[in-house]
Amino acid sequence: MATSFAGVPIFDYEALASVLFFIGLAGAIARRNPLVMLMSIELMFNAANLAFIVFARAWLNNAGQIFAFLVITVAAAEAAIALAIVVVVFRSAPQVNVDDVRVLHG
Amino acid sequence: MTLPFTHVDWAAVAPLEVLAATGLLVLLFDLVWRPFAPRGLSLSVAFLGTILTAALIAQQYGTNVAAFNGGYIVGNFSVLFGEVVLLGTLGALALMGRGGSDRESAGTIALLLWSACGALLLAAAATTMTIFLGIELLSLALYCLCGLANRKSAREAALKYLLLSSTASAVLLFGMALLFGASGSVSLAALASPAMVTNPLFWMGSGFFLVGIAFKLSLVPFHAWAPDVYQGAPLPIAAFMTVVTKAATIAIFARFAYAALPAGASQMLLLPVWAIAGISMIVGNVGMLAQHDLKRLLGYSGIAQVGYILAALAGTTRLGLRYAFFYLVVYAVMNLGAFAVAAVLSSGDDEEGTQIQSYRGLGARRPLLAAAMTFFLLALAGLPPTAGFLGKILILAVAAGTGYLWLAALLLVGTAISLYAYAKIILAMYRPDHRVHAADIPRGAPLPWVSLALCLVATVALTFYPLLPSGLLPLVK
Repeated sequence: MATSFAGVPIFDYEALASVLFFIGLAGAIARRNPLVMLMSIELMFNAANLAFIVFARAWLNNAGQIFAFLVITVAAAEAAIALAIVVVVFRSAPQVNVDDVRVLHG
Repeated sequence: MTLPFTHVDWAAVAPLEVLAATGLLVLLFDLVWRPFAPRGLSLSVAFLGTILTAALIAQQYGTNVAAFNGGYIVGNFSVLFGEVVLLGTLGALALMGRGGSDRESAGTIALLLWSACGALLLAAAATTMTIFLGIELLSLALYCLCGLANRKSAREAALKYLLLSSTASAVLLFGMALLFGASGSVSLAALASPAMVTNPLFWMGSGFFLVGIAFKLSLVPFHAWAPDVYQGAPLPIAAFMTVVTKAATIAIFARFAYAALPAGASQMLLLPVWAIAGISMIVGNVGMLAQHDLKRLLGYSGIAQVGYILAALAGTTRLGLRYAFFYLVVYAVMNLGAFAVAAVLSSGDDEEGTQIQSYRGLGARRPLLAAAMTFFLLALAGLPPTAGFLGKILILAVAAGTGYLWLAALLLVGTAISLYAYAKIILAMYRPDHRVHAADIPRGAPLPWVSLALCLVATVALTFYPLLPSGLLPLVK
């Protein structure tokens, strides 16, 4: 397993991916605007992509790169569905805020 | 140029191809023949396709093929879990035949079939890549299905499910990336090597992976979405989610826990899972006490039932897997039965007539349905004349046998609490009701009745002919 490439140790790439992931997770949990929450989720997906590509290079195994392409495709499909649902839910609302969505509780 | 995959690979996934093609056919027929076709053409095509798929999968019983470089492993394990998935799909399709104003369109049926494709993929997936593909195929279709009823609660359920489940998918995916970093391979088999025990990437990756799985199984710290989503989703979709999503996710969990963990790490890594399974039994059953909607109540019940199933897997013995599978089948049958009763009684209004107060006095108005509902609720509670009782006894036996006495004790406490919650509904049904009811006209909805009768027979029959397949072994390569 290679320990660094382009002069940057693998650990640094990994740290970057982890930081991106946790920024995304914090956003998905703390923000109340569904569009920002979706962006945060995309950030988490892309943090995983970065990790996959780094590890694919480190192990010289293309599977990681293929996985990243798969994730990009799935994330696109997910975004399409997500935006449609957000539009349907908030069509008649003056602003988008998940705190206003509370018919179901208990 | 040589093709990377041979006919062996494609034959292994033939059932999935048939099911996916059925979805396309449903759409095509609806497009071409809608003006002339009799009501229920889409539903008939979907039924035929699903049954054909079930037959094709049944033919794979006893074979052992690792297709697509070990990404899709056909064996008794995948066959049996696949059949449970298709059982749940058939049950959900039957509920779509209920009367009422908002009848499901061909698009709904096609999405349901494609969602079932994802679940079938999960039953056989043995690399993180196929697991991710299966989970997303299952979930993406379900986000849409949850919102496909023209009422506010359904749209809200779709949004909640979308946001929370996507976050869980991202956590799961990050776990997969770390596991790939640990082993240098997407295959689950590579994780079983002893070298993994000292690899921090493996521990972190498995942690994220299990958190994602726990969310999809609605185990306790990650359970809050389940009752909301089940209450908001249309009846057939809620029934589909309680059975199919759970069966597919338990298949993934079992494969990971049984076959993908190195011997030294298994105990320590899985102990938190058993712990939250135990807590789920208590929280799910306590949560049932305060509910006023049947779908919501069954959602909480499902949280506890998954806890019971995982209790059988604790100790990761082969016997435990057989008992867990048996209880999964029993749960599927009795749960689909309860949903079928709700579907027969469903009205076309906003909440589909599933509020518990609309069941008051049912014993006098519709004695047959009240008796059936009583039977299914007692089965869910685990009382003797039903298979639910046998399933729970087997789980208690295996949990006690593998030294997880505290799980057995939590199971008993949870069952005691649940008895009270189920008894409340049963008493409400048989208490005289002096309100004036609008004429309760039985609508022509034969399919839920058929489903109800079959579930009733199966719940009794499974007591006398317990389904305990011996060749149930999750393989990874």
